Amino acid sequence: MLAEKYPEEVKKILEKYPPEQKRSAVMPLLYLAQRDGGYITKEAMKDIAAMLEIAPTEVASIIGFYTLFLDEEAGKYRMQVCTDLPCALRGADKFLEELCGNLGVKVGETTSDGLVTVEAVMCLAGCDKAPMFQMQSSEGLEYHENQTVESAMGLIEEIRRKEQFSQQG
Amino acid sequence: MTKQVTLTIDGQQVAVSEGTLIVNAAKQIGIDIPVFCYHPKMEPVGMCRQCLVEVGRPVVDRATGQVVMEDGKPKIQFGAKLETACTTPVSDGMVVLTASEKAKANQREILEFLLTSHPLDCPVCDKGGECPLQNLTLAHGAPASRFIYDEKQHADKRVPLGDLIWLDRERCIQCARCIRFQDEIAGESVLAFYQRGRATDIITNSEPGFDSIFSGNTTDICPVGALTTADFRFGARPWEMKAAASICSQCPVGCNVTLNTRREAKSGGKVVLKRVMPRQNEAVNEIWICDKGRFAHHFTENEHRLATPLARKDGKLALVSWDKALGLVAGKLADAKGEAVVLASGRLSNEDLFNLKQLADGLGGEALLYTQMGGGELTTAYGVPAGTNFAEMGIGTTILVVASDLYNEAPIWYLRLKQAAERGATLILANARETKLEKYSQFVVRYSYGDEAETICGLAKKAHVGEAITSAENLVVLYGSDGLGLDGSSALAAACAELVKSRAGKPNNGLIGVWPRANDQGAWELGFKPVADLKAVFQKANVVYIAGADPFGDNPELTSRIPHHASRIPQHASRSTHPAPFIIVQELFLTETAKLADVILPAQAVTEREGSFTSGERRAQRFYPAVPARGQSRADFVITAQIAAEFGLELEGRFAARVMDKMAATVKTFAGISYRELAETTEQWPIVGRGDLYYGGTTYENKQGLGVILALSPSPTGRGARGEGKPLRPDEDHWLAVPVTRLYDLGITVATSALLKARTGGAHILLHPDSAQKLGLAAGEQVELNGNRLEVRLDPTVPVMVALVPRSMGVPIAGPMVAKIKAA
Ligand code: SF4
Ligand code: SF4
Ligand code: FES
Ligand code: FES
Repeated sequence: MLAEKYPEEVKKILEKYPPEQKRSAVMPLLYLAQRDGGYITKEAMKDIAAMLEIAPTEVASIIGFYTLFLDEEAGKYRMQVCTDLPCALRGADKFLEELCGNLGVKVGETTSDGLVTVEAVMCLAGCDKAPMFQMQSSEGLEYHENQTVESAMGLIEEIRRKEQFSQQG
Repeated sequence: MTKQVTLTIDGQQVAVSEGTLIVNAAKQIGIDIPVFCYHPKMEPVGMCRQCLVEVGRPVVDRATGQVVMEDGKPKIQFGAKLETACTTPVSDGMVVLTASEKAKANQREILEFLLTSHPLDCPVCDKGGECPLQNLTLAHGAPASRFIYDEKQHADKRVPLGDLIWLDRERCIQCARCIRFQDEIAGESVLAFYQRGRATDIITNSEPGFDSIFSGNTTDICPVGALTTADFRFGARPWEMKAAASICSQCPVGCNVTLNTRREAKSGGKVVLKRVMPRQNEAVNEIWICDKGRFAHHFTENEHRLATPLARKDGKLALVSWDKALGLVAGKLADAKGEAVVLASGRLSNEDLFNLKQLADGLGGEALLYTQMGGGELTTAYGVPAGTNFAEMGIGTTILVVASDLYNEAPIWYLRLKQAAERGATLILANARETKLEKYSQFVVRYSYGDEAETICGLAKKAHVGEAITSAENLVVLYGSDGLGLDGSSALAAACAELVKSRAGKPNNGLIGVWPRANDQGAWELGFKPVADLKAVFQKANVVYIAGADPFGDNPELTSRIPHHASRIPQHASRSTHPAPFIIVQELFLTETAKLADVILPAQAVTEREGSFTSGERRAQRFYPAVPARGQSRADFVITAQIAAEFGLELEGRFAARVMDKMAATVKTFAGISYRELAETTEQWPIVGRGDLYYGGTTYENKQGLGVILALSPSPTGRGARGEGKPLRPDEDHWLAVPVTRLYDLGITVATSALLKARTGGAHILLHPDSAQKLGLAAGEQVELNGNRLEVRLDPTVPVMVALVPRSMGVPIAGPMVAKIKAA
């Protein structure tokens, strides 16, 4: 239960909205739930729905609409590569294909070490700097533009080193 | 009257009221603008772009404010872009082109787009043949697609959204009609979109999935075959089926329905009922029905239906001919004369009840109504008169609902009152517990079980609520039997009647009974009297003729209290002073009561014959035969007439229409009513049920009659049994157990429809979580209530130290009672 785990934060979020419009608090509460578990569980959806007196289905629908909200467990890092038309014209398709080949995964899958999930997404507003992707993790969101397979692999290596280090440390 | 606006659509002038949408203005002059997302019962959203048309408006000179003229005509300026006919209201002088080159090109292209990802599996699609996408493609689509077939997106084709509705993701065109129906009309937001663009899905996160009692309606309004019912899926093609008009027999609303039937090899060459669809009647159910009405129809074809008359021989029931059975029964009745009792329920039609009453009168015996709810003589006197229409109720109307959980007892009334409240009517809910409709009410009056009548008597004097009642332009009071038995509900009816008495005869004013059965109101109109003490009836009568009722099934304890029937010992072994009564049972099934009978007469189901019901609004409505009768079964009114004929009493036993003529001649409130009048219709707006292109496969057009509201009978013939004594107030060791109604119960219609099993569950009681804790019980555990073992369900809306016992769920409960409850 979010309200029990993060009473202060939940209170602060709810206070921002008039009681008759508390449904508006759904976005910040979803962020909180995602930060808590890496993704939003069915339980958390029910919890938020009850808090805001809306239907659990409506909460799920909001998560579905925003690509930044996640409702399935996956890698710690989500590499979201734009493959929309403008990016495709600058070679995003090929970039993604080769990257997946290098990592030994298919689009939507997670690397065997459980660290990186590769996803294809719609326009991220970086069309002129394609191939590009965003890296989503508990640390936040980072844009990586004008990428090559090499630069992307380098980034992943860096992540792996960092994770190994933090595990040992 | 609202202001009229004149415009021109495809060269035709039309005057419509201000605010009308272009699409509806066009419909009024017979022009069909293709639509997908638009539905006349819901707010327009303009999502699909199928309805784009060219719209021109008169040019107004800014300086003078005058319309600019050109060649003696107003100069019309067309917009650079097309506009959606479903969201654009008409304006004066507007010129709309729905079939210009530009508009046609758009219609063609939107269809082409929709089809790029549509599976086009029409040959196996349930909607095929009544599908708006199919229809509009044929009418407006391009002959060939420019897109590559192999690039079609594919998606799951068999997704259960719950146990009743299936989704075919590929077929969905994302019009959101289903979602909007759930949000706007049903008020149960259990469907939503998930993801975006091509990936858009319909999801449900409720538990159980698609948790709504109106879910079936989404399959009607879905413009493609994306949503189908588990009941009808792959059942038959629309064009193979015949349609018969009927009236739903499940509750007092009296929804108009169409029964679709087919003669099929699968069923051994028999004509069988394939599905129940709504039939438009804007005053009753509009174009909707609830899931019980739609899915609980399997009793008709059930293999256990009685097919031949049976009579007891050497203690056992054995087959006999109709002649023999009728002779036997008639002989017993003729001998018993005034000692004969007819016991019938509101499951029977007006015609059946009329004949039964005539028979009882002819013998000098009694005609009793098997019911646990009273007050019918008051609804006959102060009911809502002709001209009443829920659709018109809004600002100025106060609607009071007392002791009724409409969501469970009369689902479509729940929708109608919700809508009325949204239009501005003042909705007052008085109940001992919270019910679903409260969400839409202005006032809630909470009382303790037992204080119903008293609370209502004092209502007019209460601040605010009293004013809302007394100063309302129109006042409708609906009362039910939540927590009440015959006495309590009769007393409540009397209290409610006081509120509406002074308004008697004014349309949209009056008293409505939320009866447990479809035709209870009819039984009251025809002079049946409720029976409080069944035991006494069986102890006194010589012959009991029971039709459409199962008193021994509802209350097994009754068996032991009736002379000899406990073991059905032959009469000569009688030890009691009073011999066992001769029992005649007229039924569809071998019920517990039928098992005790001396003679069983097999009756036809409502789907197999003609007749009429009187709804809770006192609207008499006709139903028509849809399927051939089971075995040798006969219609109830026919059987009664044939029995009567045996002892020389002449009743109409051939044509239901003639029974109605007799009723019209002798029963005051039916005066002048004929089958022909009941079959009259007027045009229903919106036009959705026709063979038109855009609402294909939704509801059926009403060609068979809208029904007639009966006249009032201002002098009530009798008074309801007044509740005597004080309300039950158990001491600390005891509980108050009260009856409530659940939509899906274990009654024969639901029990024979396998699909609804999961939603029904088994015998249970509902307790407040605190009460359960007191007993040391958790949800799902077993309790013992007066010797019955039951599952506990928790419900925070139940008052503490009160147990709600659902009717027809395995525990006999006729009215409130003091009970001992303990963990089992
Ligand atoms: S399932 Fe049917 S009604 Fe619902 S959005 Fe899809 S096409 Fe429209
Ligand atoms: S609301 Fe009542 S009459 Fe209408 S379909 Fe449901 S059960 Fe039948
Ligand atoms: S299309 Fe890829 S970022 Fe815009
Ligand atoms: S946009 Fe008008 S019908 Fe869909």
